[in-house]
Parts: sequence; C-alpha cells; structure tokens
Amino acid sequence: MTRANKFRRAPVLWVVALLLTCVLASVGYKLIFLGYALADLLPETHYHVTYRFSFDGHRRPVSLRTFVPVSDEHQTISEERNASPGLHFETSMEGLNLRGLWSSSSGGEGTSAEYAFEVATRPLQFELGRHIAVPDGYAAPIEEFLKPEENIQVDDPEIVRTLVGIHADQGDAASRLEKIYRFTSHLAPRAFKGTTDALTALRLGEASCNGKSRLFAALARAGGIPTRLVGGLILESGSKRTSHQWVESYLGGHWVPFCPTNHHFAEIPANYLVLYRGDESLFSHTSDINFKYAYETKLRQVPAAKARESLGSVNVWALFERLGLPFSLLRTLLMLPIGALVVVACRNIVGVPTFGTFLPALIAAASLETGAFWGIVGVLIIVSLVALVRLALQRFSLLHSPTLAILLAAVTIVMLATSLVAERVGARALTRISMFPIAVLAITAERFYVAMADHGAQLAARELAGTIAVVLACYALMNSLALQALVVGFPEVLLVVVAFNAYLGTWTGIRVSEYFRFRYLLREREA
Amino acid sequence: MSWAKLSQWLTKLCERRQAVLGLNARNRLFIQHENPRQLRRMVDDKVRAKQRLMEHGVPVPRTLGVCRGLIDIPRMLCDLEACDGFVVKPVCGAAGRGVLVVRGARNGAGWTAADGGALGERALARHIAETIFGAFSRRQEDAALIEELVEPHEFFAGLSSHGLCDVRLLVHRHSPVMAMVRAPTRGSGGRANLHAGGLGLGVSLDRGIVSSCVRRGRRHERHPESGAKLVGLSVPFWSEIVRIGVDAARAFPLGYLGVDVVVNREGQPLVLELNARAGLEIQNVCDQGMYSAFAQRGSETATERAVGAESGNTGIPGER
Repeated sequence: MTRANKFRRAPVLWVVALLLTCVLASVGYKLIFLGYALADLLPETHYHVTYRFSFDGHRRPVSLRTFVPVSDEHQTISEERNASPGLHFETSMEGLNLRGLWSSSSGGEGTSAEYAFEVATRPLQFELGRHIAVPDGYAAPIEEFLKPEENIQVDDPEIVRTLVGIHADQGDAASRLEKIYRFTSHLAPRAFKGTTDALTALRLGEASCNGKSRLFAALARAGGIPTRLVGGLILESGSKRTSHQWVESYLGGHWVPFCPTNHHFAEIPANYLVLYRGDESLFSHTSDINFKYAYETKLRQVPAAKARESLGSVNVWALFERLGLPFSLLRTLLMLPIGALVVVACRNIVGVPTFGTFLPALIAAASLETGAFWGIVGVLIIVSLVALVRLALQRFSLLHSPTLAILLAAVTIVMLATSLVAERVGARALTRISMFPIAVLAITAERFYVAMADHGAQLAARELAGTIAVVLACYALMNSLALQALVVGFPEVLLVVVAFNAYLGTWTGIRVSEYFRFRYLLREREA
Repeated sequence: MSWAKLSQWLTKLCERRQAVLGLNARNRLFIQHENPRQLRRMVDDKVRAKQRLMEHGVPVPRTLGVCRGLIDIPRMLCDLEACDGFVVKPVCGAAGRGVLVVRGARNGAGWTAADGGALGERALARHIAETIFGAFSRRQEDAALIEELVEPHEFFAGLSSHGLCDVRLLVHRHSPVMAMVRAPTRGSGGRANLHAGGLGLGVSLDRGIVSSCVRRGRRHERHPESGAKLVGLSVPFWSEIVRIGVDAARAFPLGYLGVDVVVNREGQPLVLELNARAGLEIQNVCDQGMYSAFAQRGSETATERAVGAESGNTGIPGER
C-alpha cells in the first residue's frame, strides 16, 4: 500500500460499515431468535452485609447472641461467613428465628467478631382480598399472635377504646387493617432509640418504629387479626447501628407485611432485611463487656441471569466469578472503551482541552464506585494540592522528577489525612475519597503539574474545566444502567465503539471550538 | 431568522469553512501524512537539524556547544566565560519552553538573564542539568544546545524590547504559503510564541508588508503595549528571508514545515529552528485560511496536489 492510499478514507468507511453490519446482525439474532429483552438484562442490586461486634471479656466467660437472617420468599441469603478468632460460633433455630451464638470460656481482652453474608432481595406486594371476614379462631401456633404480651397490651381498655374509636372493630379484615395502618402511620415520628410499648405510643401520640409497630400489633390483635413484630435492617450503603421494626398480619393464609413508620402498606421494599420475627431483643450478651456493634452494608451490582447467559460463549462473567473479582470490575472494563470514545469525541469533534487522552475516562471509571460528586471532589483536592506544592517548591527550583515524586507523596498523605479526618468528624461520604485508585490520582497530579509547568496556570485551569466536563459526560454514559445492560448483554456493542473510533480517526472536519477560534476567518466578508 | 436565511447562512459558512485548516485535518493530512514520524525526528532534534542546514548552506546561529551529560557542564561553563551573550535550548524542546537567554558577558559572580535577573554559575548549571534531564521536553533524556545570542536587526529590535522577534514562514512542499512576524511582549515572558501571548504580525508574502496585528486572537492596529504603528510597515530583507526559509525547508523531505528566521544586526537572515507541527494560529494572524492560501500561493502546490507529482514521501493527501 502506498502512502497516499494509506490516507484514503474509503477503505476505513468500508470497515466501519462492515463492523456495524456484523453488530446489527448479531444483536438482531439475539433479539429475534434468542428472545432477549433489554429489561431482563438490567443488573440487580445485591447487598453484602457485615456484622461487626467488639467486646471486652476481662478474661471471664462471655457469650453473645443475636439473630442471623434466613432465606424466604422475600430474601435470599448466601455466602455466610463467620470470622471470630478465639470465639466459638454456632447457630440454632429458636422458634421462628435463627440465632447465632458466639461464646468463649475465657473472654480475652478486646475481642471482635465479624459475620458477613450476601443478600439478594425482591420487593413483595400483597393485594388484600376484600370481604375476608375476621374468623372466630385460628390454628394454635397462629392463635399465639392474638395474645397480649408485656409491651403489646392487647387487653388494655385504652387500646380497645381506640380500636372502637377508629371503627377498626368491625368490617372485613382488610378494612380493619387499613384503619389501623392509617392511625399508626399518622402518629408523629420520634427519634427515640429505646423500647416503646404500645400503650406509651398511644398515650404520647408519637413513636419510633418499634412503638408504632407495637401499637399496630396491639390494635390488630384486639381487632382479632394475628399480628407479629418483625425486626431487621434497612439496607443502605454504609455503616450503621440502627435496626428497624415493622409488623406482619395474618390474612387469608399469608403473613402480610406492614410498615407504619415508612408507609409501606401490605408490601415490603427491596431494601428491608428480615432478621427475626416476634417481640425479641436483637442482642443478648453477658453484662459489663463494653459491647459495641455496627452493621456495614455494601451495594453490589450483579448482572441479571439473562445477561450472564449471554456472555456464555466467552463467559467472562464465569471467569470473574472463579477469580473472585467483583462484577463492578467487569462492568468498568466493559464500559472503559465507551468512556474513551466519549473523550475522543469531546476532543476531536468539540475540541475540549483535557489532561491526557484517557484520563477523563479513567477518572469517570474510578468514580463509578464513589459517585461522580466524590470523583470530582477528589480531582479538585488533588489539583489544589498540586498548585500548593508547586507554589511551595518553586523557590527551591528542584529537578522535575523528584518534584513529581514529592507530589505523589503529598497526594498519598492528603488522601489518608482526608479519610482520617472524615472518619473522625463522621463525614462518612468523604471517606470514600480513599477508595479512589491511587494510580488515577497520581496520573491526575502529574498531568496537572505538567500542564501548569508547560502551559501556565491559565491554560491549565481551562484544561481542568474541560477535564471535569468530560469526566461528567463519561460518567453519565458509563454509569447509565441501560448502556451497561446493553454492553453486558451485547458485548459486540464494543465493535460499534471501534467503528466510531475508526470513523473519527479519519474525520478531518473543523472542531466546534475552532468555529470560535477562527471566527474572524469564518465571518462574512465583502467580496 | 427564517429557515431560508438560516440555511443560506449555513451554506455560506460551510463554503467559508473550506478555506480554514483545522487541527484534525492538520494532524492527519499534513503531519501524519506529509511529515511521517521517522522524518519528523530530523527536525525535532535541533542539533541534527542544524547540522543538516549547514550542510545545505543555510545560515544558522553559531553553536557554542552541546551538553549531553552532566559531565559536560563544567567545561561548558568555562567556555562561556568569555562569551558575549548566549542562549540555552533543549535540543528536543518545543514551543519555546526551557529557552534561557543570557545577555552580555560574565560579570563577577555570574551573568545577566534576558529578563534582567542575575544568573549565578550554579543557577545556570542547574538549568542546563534540568534540560538534560528532559524537564522541558518531557523526555527521559535530552541535551542542552548552547548557541550564540543573535543580536537582532534594528527593525526587529524596534518591534520588541522583551525578546527576540522572528519571522515564521509556513512552507508546504517547499513553497512558502504564509508568513508572519512574531514579537515577544511583556506578557509572553520573552517568548515569541503566540500561545504564550506573543504578538503576531501578518506579512504579505510577496512584498513583506505588515497587514495585520493579532495578540491572543484579538486584532490591533498598533502595538498593544508600545502603541507604535505596525500595520503598513515594510519588513527589511524580505526576499532574502523568504529565500533562506525556503532553502531551509528544501533541506528536509518534509511536506509541512514552520521555519523560524531571524535577521541579525548585519542584516543576515539566519534560520533559528524548524517545526514539523507548525501551529494554525498563523491563519488568524494573516487573516487568511490555509487552504485559500494554498490556492492563491504557489499554483504548483495546487497542481502537485492534483497530479500527485512529487516523489517519495509527499504523495497526494487523502480526500479533504
């Protein structure tokens, strides 16, 4: 091929057309003959929950009991893992619940235990049948849940009076529950962590989750509907100590969930994790052991089953599972070429100045874990640090490479310090800064330093603004669930990216920014 | 604006756009195509480029020495003792980065930099060391080229008191296409580069008359700092400058070249350096699109393009 031929566009355009045809054919085949639907391909959210306990045994025997979740219609629990060096661990069914017991004959000084598991949930919604009369009696185990308990004062005249007052003592079961739900969910919320019994909640007219749930249970039981407390966690990313309580009422042969606190009528949302049923206390442990606990939840995106199948021929997903790598990494890998395409388009079509060619895509990929906001905050911290270090080192006029090495040390220190301070002041979100891959931060620091040294502060600032804009564009696209599903379900879409780049590689048009740069040349002139 | 008007305006814009060379087209059609990488190295290395220019009889500033390692520095400093003004450049530098200009002979503790600051022996040695470590060329290794300081001809000296003015000729396939004078300003830190804030004077190629004056994309009638009238000035030794510039370009098998020429006090044009990635701002300075300059200038360029005459490395650029 002669040089002139090498610069012809036509062959490239043929390759582009060929690639696009292949992709269309393959996607069409999957859609028509394999029955793919995009909705099946959307990734699911799984939760990784860790219990963290610590206590001080003072070298005496200790024991600690708490509930561990079991699988049911709403939740699937897997990969339970206990890590409690020096402690004996066993589980046993107690009534409806599975209880975990950690014990030791000599407690040791500071003992800690960790119990972790994976949760996949699905939200449940119940359609309450109308005209189901409240029956006169139930089977013995269910009858239990009509009886008064210490904190659920079913027989108390005040409870009965309230039941009559809201007309929940008559009509079919569903309408009674509706009235009780409306009454309890309209009580004012109260940020009280301790136990509130049904009667107190009623008298105060306000309550936290457990008070409202007990009052709900007391009224429902008084109205002849078996009702039990449910205790569990609301799963959200991060670490917390608060548990949650709601109720289940027995209706038409099912235990139907209600949460008067967060307004869920006959439904349980996807992020509720059931730990136990009944009015139990979450923990029981030897006294005076300075017991501390926290629940840590991580959200993980997992490809839908259909999407996993689609990778079947190459089965990258299975490979990742074998290697124990998270799905998020696979997703990042698959989305990175798309991010790079965005950068190329921004540079060559729009003409946005950026640091390096792929740095914006890399920053966006790193931000997929922390969120775009924290990604940008991270970049801004690094950039101001670079400007400061440059200012501080200028008077010593050090050689270039050692300066960059000092910069890297400063980046490490500041990242650690930020996380440390953030943890101290309880700014949990800010601790995510340290999740940012150091490689990306180091390259950002170097690029910005070089830009400042080579192009001056003003141009470097423009490149910074351009970089942030392109990062956001990359993030928006790479974080789009629809696009992720598309790429995971149809990896051949990456060939479209290749085709696009091939096209852009031969595109020699004027960039958008050049219309501005050459505006005097492009303006209308007198002939 | 009505649809008809808008579409008419767009059509006209597209027509006018044809005249302008953008970065994408420059990179692919002129740099990648006409200046292939292995040939670009010939001009990127200033020492080799100078050598080649001298072989072809093109006048260049005298080389005082090249420092390739730290070991060369002490001897170089000794040699510079007696020297009356010199310039330290990174051999592979670009855009005027890392260029240190020293005016006058050594006095006591050291020299005087062009910006008036004192420059001790240690500071100079450090600058040379940084250059060798590639601080200004973003390479692992570089070398420092030390040249005599060219005292400019009074015409050029009059244009700027902040540094050396040069003439940038844009040469395509060995024929000149556009020309401008670049003058450092107070804001450009002694550098003539337009990106650094240097002043660009568009010069008509045939007659050497200044037709426009642009700084940072803005047009001026007079010098924005001194207020001197610039448009209409006639650049002395113009035909010499253009001839030497074209001679310099002919010494290299590259299609798209920026040639920087200075004129010394005696009126002798010297080629300062060559640039295989010449910038596009010259279009704004000369108020003319590159393609329209191609069409207007050397009809031979246009003909060549049509027939694909020239041999070897410069074939027809692809479709535009």
